[in-house]
Amino acid sequence: MSLKTRLAAAAAAAAIAGLLAAGLGASHRNVLPSDQLAALPASPGPALQVGKAVGLPAGRYLSRWTVVRRPTLAHAAPAASSAVVARLAASTPEGTRNLLPVLRVVSSDTAALWVKVRLPVLPSGSVGWVPRRALGPYETVNTRLVVDRGDLQATLYRLGKIVFAAPVGVGTDAWPTPAGEFSVRSKLTRYASPFYGPLAFGTTARSDVLTDWPGGGFVGIHGTNEPQLLPGRISHGCVRLRNRDLLRLAALMPIGTPMTIR
Amino acid sequence: MTAHFQNFDEFLAAVDRDGAVGETRARAEATMSRRGLFGLTFAGAGATLLARAPVAAAAGLPAPDLDILNYALVLEYLQASFYTEAERSGALHGRTAEAARVVGATERAHVKAFLHLLGSKAVKRPTFNFQGTTEQQRPFLKTAVAFEDLAVAAYKGQAPKLRSNAVLAAAVGIHSVEARHAAWMRQLFGITPAVNAFDRPSSRASINRIVTSTRFIVAKPRMKARTKPEFTG
Repeated sequence: MSLKTRLAAAAAAAAIAGLLAAGLGASHRNVLPSDQLAALPASPGPALQVGKAVGLPAGRYLSRWTVVRRPTLAHAAPAASSAVVARLAASTPEGTRNLLPVLRVVSSDTAALWVKVRLPVLPSGSVGWVPRRALGPYETVNTRLVVDRGDLQATLYRLGKIVFAAPVGVGTDAWPTPAGEFSVRSKLTRYASPFYGPLAFGTTARSDVLTDWPGGGFVGIHGTNEPQLLPGRISHGCVRLRNRDLLRLAALMPIGTPMTIR
Repeated sequence: MTAHFQNFDEFLAAVDRDGAVGETRARAEATMSRRGLFGLTFAGAGATLLARAPVAAAAGLPAPDLDILNYALVLEYLQASFYTEAERSGALHGRTAEAARVVGATERAHVKAFLHLLGSKAVKRPTFNFQGTTEQQRPFLKTAVAFEDLAVAAYKGQAPKLRSNAVLAAAVGIHSVEARHAAWMRQLFGITPAVNAFDRPSSRASINRIVTSTRFIVAKPRMKARTKPEFTG
């Protein structure tokens, strides 16, 4: 900035200050005198105390699931022209919605959305692609159930930490509990069957052997009227818990919890 | 888009497909009635109940204001769930992903504040199916603009009806934040952030049409049944 420019700027600033002192300042004082300001009522504090922005926690322990909204086909690839690998009903044999664990979504602004899901079909571990429009809302869980057929124990994790552990009964050598990655997909209550105990969880796991079992041979997690047999290899593939352990588990485990059987 | 929801019942009728929000509201009102009865008849027991209830902050507010707060909470649930799902989907990119992260964190803070204020009087979170709009950039932005404009219009429409100045002060504070969100999303979507000198209200029918046309609030999937298992045993 040149000396001439600086002098001009200083002169302008002095003129503005003079104007404010002589006129505008006095005018301002006349409009809002201090006694009138003091008479104004104080503003009320807000009823809502909105705190800091709430960031999302790390998604490391989160799993996503959805349900089949209407009967649809699962494909081998995210394209309608690819091979059909399964037909998916909207409901399970128990009458609940057909749950699918979400593995991946292929998105693009120009093409239809396809969702990669784990399928509740044989062979265990099958996956497929389903059009997004055939699916329902997404839900998330932060729990994971691990059933160890060697140690005969079920362990529930929440955010990676153990919150439940109990001995279990699993399938015999003739009717083994299938190994793999599955999900807890339903909760059945208020039935009268001492054999299944007070409640039962349905899962996406299916017996490799009892394929003609009523309802499709799905593996459940339920109670028992023979607690003295646990832990042991005593079932047709289902995971049995003592009734008191099952009720404790039911209070902790949401529908959609991924289940690892090893 | 400028619009007013005329009242919570009208909004509820339009969006509460499985009646979940209405059920919670009825339960909350019943609880409030019981508390009143206990307070009159069994002063000691009533005092204990009130001391345990997490609704102290909202207890002194006028009933119509509580209704409006619950209505606003549903809109905040809608927005917070939308941005949360978008962030978790990982499908957004660039400045849009950043905006979704920032705005989502703000909307969750709003929900948290409403829940703290309303306690057991708060309606529960509905089930949302955003039908892929959280997983694609352009549909996401288009929906975000609609949501933010709707929230701005809703707060503006309800503000004159509030009886408590403290609630009004809170509503105005949130309204301006929603307006900034609206401008941000509009700019990202490629439309003028602020073009009108005044937001005119829309008709009641227009609002219902907007809300119902989204089909984002859905019935909660039935995952429980009262039936005997047929598992392998």
